[in-house]
Amino acid sequence: MVELKNVDVHYKEGGVDALNDVNLRINDGEFVFIVGNSGAGKSTLLKLLTRERVPTGGRVFVNGFNLSKLREGKIPKFRRSIGMIFQDFRLIPNLTVYENVAFVLRVTDRSRRFIRQRVPYVLNLVRLTDKARAYPSQLSGGEQQRVAIARAFASDPGLIIADEPTGNIDPELSYEIVELLKDINKCGTTVIMVTHEHDLVKYFGGRIISLKKGNVDFDDYIGGNNEGQ
Amino acid sequence: MKGSNFSYLVKQGVVSVWHNRVMSFASFCILMVSLLLIALAVLFSIDIGIAIGNIEDTNEILVFVENDLPESEISYISDILNSYKNEYVSSVDFFSKEDAWESEREWFGEVMYILFDSVGDNPMPHTFIVSLRDITRMNEAATRFSAIEGVIGVRAPYDFAEVLISIRNTFAILGIAILAALIVVCLVIIYNTARASVFARRMQISIMKHVGATNAFIKIPFFIEGMFIGIIAGVASWFLTKIAYETVVSIFSEEIMLIQVLGLTSITDFNDIRWIVLAANCFAGALLGAVGTVFSMGKHLKV
Repeated sequence: MVELKNVDVHYKEGGVDALNDVNLRINDGEFVFIVGNSGAGKSTLLKLLTRERVPTGGRVFVNGFNLSKLREGKIPKFRRSIGMIFQDFRLIPNLTVYENVAFVLRVTDRSRRFIRQRVPYVLNLVRLTDKARAYPSQLSGGEQQRVAIARAFASDPGLIIADEPTGNIDPELSYEIVELLKDINKCGTTVIMVTHEHDLVKYFGGRIISLKKGNVDFDDYIGGNNEGQ
Repeated sequence: MKGSNFSYLVKQGVVSVWHNRVMSFASFCILMVSLLLIALAVLFSIDIGIAIGNIEDTNEILVFVENDLPESEISYISDILNSYKNEYVSSVDFFSKEDAWESEREWFGEVMYILFDSVGDNPMPHTFIVSLRDITRMNEAATRFSAIEGVIGVRAPYDFAEVLISIRNTFAILGIAILAALIVVCLVIIYNTARASVFARRMQISIMKHVGATNAFIKIPFFIEGMFIGIIAGVASWFLTKIAYETVVSIFSEEIMLIQVLGLTSITDFNDIRWIVLAANCFAGALLGAVGTVFSMGKHLKV
């Protein structure tokens, strides 16, 4: 579960209020789109959810961790409970596809045997079994993002946060990426996806949180164009 | 941490040397040159110390005693002089007036024999030749020897001693200063090279942090990588040190006179200390490489 209570974020540099008294609650198993224009506060919200920064005021709870009071030494433990997907994929360039996915399991100190079973499983989920030995530079944008999704899902986290995951790939592949995230969501994983691609949001529908100038401007469910398909 | 994961991180560290070969080569070169310069500076400092020590060993204080002293009195003076061996005297030799006279005759040669024969009584005094271990105490020694009953005079090379002490002190300070400056410069260069290497992989570190890797988990491969490069640089610098040092020594050894004048007759033989130098170079290389790399990661770990 993700919960923000009266959260303010104020940047001293420039005296900008990035978030103003934001209250949010995202329950386990939800799929949520977060939308908004540049400067609306989307990036700041993500930084709060990944504990890259702490709020100036209010409290942030993610997966049972109170991020407002989380000590530095506990951050790795918290981050292992979430999966991150980035717009620029952020794969480790000198590791193969298999090793990139296995890396997150090594970080969580999983046994060699578990890694040998889990990595092929998630690579199969994202349909990249045949690319296991390839390096990121040998893959297309869409394939790299699928590796990133496999990596995020490998440790079976309760929450996946995707920061504009379709921003660097062909529009037709964007739908495939969101479909993959939807499939993961059906397994019970909460997914928060930040995007500014309104067509995607309209197509898939569901819960939409729109930010505007640091405030929650809209938080409701809309029907998607793909319903009934 | 599981053993399998630790061995994976160690393997990653070694593999990273090849994956980041351009930066690895730059770090290797910087470390190798730094270690070479430091090793040569240390070796030559040791040799200069030996040279000054050898020259110091040639210092002698002449202690003249009364001519008509009985043998028991001379023996008594000898005992007193030898008693200082516990402090600063290294050797005491007695030269009777007859030995001294004969030595002078031989030194002047046959041509001057007539002149020596024309002198009636032997004018040379009985003499003790005292060598000091510590020439900084020459004044003190001369004063003490003068006060011994039966001693009529003392001749000591005060100026020579002062010059030697001054040279020794200057070289000591200069040696330490050069070495310290060299180490500081090397550390700065190594640190910056490591920083450049880490900066090139800041994204990789950031990814590791985002997936929940602890700082220790991230540092281990970098630590191993730095250590590995450092050890290779240590071995390479050892070879270069050996070649450079032996070349300089061989050039000097052709100048026998120069070697004797400079007191370099018992200079350090590289073969005698080759394993110590190798161990020191590898240890210093590993330490500088590993610590330099890990220290330069600090900022990038704050994600």
